Amino acid sequence: MGLSEYIIMRELNFPEINRFERYCQVGGWEAYRTAVKEQTPATIVQMVKEAGLRGRGGAGFPTGMKWGFLPKGVYPRYLLCNCDESEPGTFNNHQIIDRNPHQLIEGVALSAYAIECNTAYIYMRGEFAAAALTLEQAIDEAYRAGLLGKNILGTGYDLDIYVHRGAGAYICGEETALMESLEGKIGQPRLKPPFPAVAGLYGKPTIINNVETLANVPRIVEKGVAWYRSHGTEKSPGTKCFSLSGHVNRPGNYELPFGLPLRELIESPEYGGGMKGGRPVKIIIPGGASAPWLTAKHLDVPLDYEGVAAAGSMLGSGAVIVLNDTVKAPHVAYKMDEFFKHESCGKCTPCREGTHWLVKVLHRLAEEGHAEPDDIPTLHGIYRQMAGNCFCLLGESAVMPIKSALELFPEEFEAIIKASNERHQRNGAHAIPLRVS
Amino acid sequence: MLLETHREAIETIVGRYASPRSAVLPLLYLAQDVYGHLSNAAIREVAGILALPETDVFEVVGFYTLFYSRPVGTWMLQVCDDVPCCYLGAEELITALKDSLQIKEEQTSADGMFTLQRVKCLAACDRAPVLQANLDYVYDVTPEKVEALLKDLRSRAADARRRGVSGRFAEDFAVTEQGAVELVARDAPYQSRQFEVQGPPPPPEPIPPPEVESGQDRAETRRASPL
Repeated sequence: MGLSEYIIMRELNFPEINRFERYCQVGGWEAYRTAVKEQTPATIVQMVKEAGLRGRGGAGFPTGMKWGFLPKGVYPRYLLCNCDESEPGTFNNHQIIDRNPHQLIEGVALSAYAIECNTAYIYMRGEFAAAALTLEQAIDEAYRAGLLGKNILGTGYDLDIYVHRGAGAYICGEETALMESLEGKIGQPRLKPPFPAVAGLYGKPTIINNVETLANVPRIVEKGVAWYRSHGTEKSPGTKCFSLSGHVNRPGNYELPFGLPLRELIESPEYGGGMKGGRPVKIIIPGGASAPWLTAKHLDVPLDYEGVAAAGSMLGSGAVIVLNDTVKAPHVAYKMDEFFKHESCGKCTPCREGTHWLVKVLHRLAEEGHAEPDDIPTLHGIYRQMAGNCFCLLGESAVMPIKSALELFPEEFEAIIKASNERHQRNGAHAIPLRVS
Repeated sequence: MLLETHREAIETIVGRYASPRSAVLPLLYLAQDVYGHLSNAAIREVAGILALPETDVFEVVGFYTLFYSRPVGTWMLQVCDDVPCCYLGAEELITALKDSLQIKEEQTSADGMFTLQRVKCLAACDRAPVLQANLDYVYDVTPEKVEALLKDLRSRAADARRRGVSGRFAEDFAVTEQGAVELVARDAPYQSRQFEVQGPPPPPEPIPPPEVESGQDRAETRRASPL
C-alpha cells in the first residue's frame, strides 16, 4: 500500500505544492519560522540526530552525526546541497525540485540554521538547467517573503542560498570534487582527511548533504521525532524515494517506507506493475550503477540499508534498475563501465587506466563478439588491480558491474569466447583452450 | 565584450562567492551563449575578467562536457545511451536521428542546425529513452516522432539562438502521440512514462487541473534572473 502521508513527494497529497502560497497553506515554512524565532540551532541538530535521518545520497551515513563533526567556534561555515544526480538509474532529485522545490529550500534553510552557517549553495548538475530555474524562482519567492536574506524575521540571522550549476561531470557528485568544482577548478577529488566538516569549501568547515536528505529535515522539525520514526525500520527510519527503471511496466519514483520487499516494488500494480511483456527478471541493480547486482532469487530482499547489504549489495541511492532476460550480462557490464570510463576524472591511475582497459576488453567482447581465450582472467586481473586502489569511490564503483557479471553469469562470457574460438577454427586457425580462472 | 554588454549580470554572479574564481562556470556559460561556442578568444576573455591564469580556464573548458570549444549547431541534440536507455530504444533513436540528419555522432548537420552527441545518464531513466535539445528535456521521443521533432526545432531556431546552447533559460518539452512538441507545465501532475500494464490497471490518481497558467511564473523568472 502507498503511504497515506508522503514525506518527500508531497505533491501526491497536495497538488500544486510547488507554488509558494500552496506550500505555506499546508504548513510549509512554519518549521523554519518557529526554529529561527524560538529554537536554538542545537535543538534542531538534536532532533535530526534522534530522528535517525540517514544520508540518502548513497552512503546512508547518519546526518546528525555528520553535522556534529563541525569544529566548535570556527566560522564561516558552508552548507552545500548535492544535486549532481547523474548515475544511471537515479532520477529522484529532479522530481523533488520540479514538483516540491520549497521543501528542499526550507530543508536547506533549516539545516543552515542548525549548523550556524550564513551561505548555502545548491550544486546542480549542468543538465538540470530547467530545474535550476525552477529552484531559483522558488528561492526568489522565499527572499520576497523575508525568509531568506538579511535579518530574517527580525531575529538577526542572515542566510543566502544560491544555485550553482555544474557543467557535465558525474565526479562532481563526490563531495570533495564538488567543492573543487564550486571553487572554479576541475572536479577532481581531494585527499581525505581533512574531512569537509573541518576544511571544506574555501578551506572552511563545510557540510554536504544530498537533496533528498535535506528535504526530510522540515518534516522532522515540523512533526517531531516520534512521528518520523513511525515510518520505516528501527535502523532506517523514514521513507525513501525509490527510482525504479528498466524493463518494468511503470518506471518512476515511488516513495516507500524502508523495508518493503523488492518483489513488491517491482510487481505491485501500484508501483512497478510487473515486468514488461511478462518476461522474467534477470538482473536487478538495487542502488545505482555502483551497486553489486542481484538476480531473480533476491526478490524477497527487504529494501533497507541492512537488508540489501545482507544480500551482498547496497541500497545506495535507491535507484533500482530491473533488466529482463533479453539483455546479455557482458553487455550490461560493458555499458556500465563505459559510463565510469567516461566519467573518470583522470586523477588516479587505477581508475583512469583500469576503466579504460575494462571498456576496451568488454567492447571487443560484448559489442563485437571477438574474444581472446584468456579474456576472463584478464578482466579479473584488471578489476582486482582497481579494487581498493582508487583515489575515490568512482573507481571502486567501476569494479562492481564487471565483478558481478563475472560472478553471476560466467557462462555468458565463456559462450562468447567459445563462439569466437570456433570462428577462428573454421577460418583455419589453431584452437586455443579456454581459460576460465 | 562581455563586460560591456553584461556587466551587471557578471557582478551579480561574482558577488555570490567568497572567491571570484568560483564564478568561472557561470561566466563560461554566459560567454558560450553570447559567442555560440568557446573560442580561444572567449576563454581568454573570461580568464581576464576573473584575473585567472588562462591555462586554468582552458583546463576547466576541457574537463567539463557542456563547454564546447569548437563551433556547434544551433541545437545541441544529446541522447543518453546508458543503461537502461540503451535497452529501451536509445540506439534506435540515435540511428533515426543520424539517418534523418545524415550525420554521425559529434558532427553538425550541413545546414548548421543540429549537432548530435551521445551522452551519459541524463537522470530521467523513467522516461527512457531521453533526449535533450540545448539542455531542454524532450520527453517521449521515438524514432517515428523524430521528423516532427526536428521540424519543430527548425521552426524554433530563432528561439534557440536567442537562448543559446547553455540552457540558461531552459524549459522542458514532451512530444505528443500526434507529434506536437508541447511545453511540460510545472504545475501539471508528475507523469512517468507508462507502458501497457499486465493484469489489473492501477487506479488513476484524481488530481484537479492547475488553476494558474504555468507560463506566468516562468516569464517572471526570466526577467528576474540574470542568468
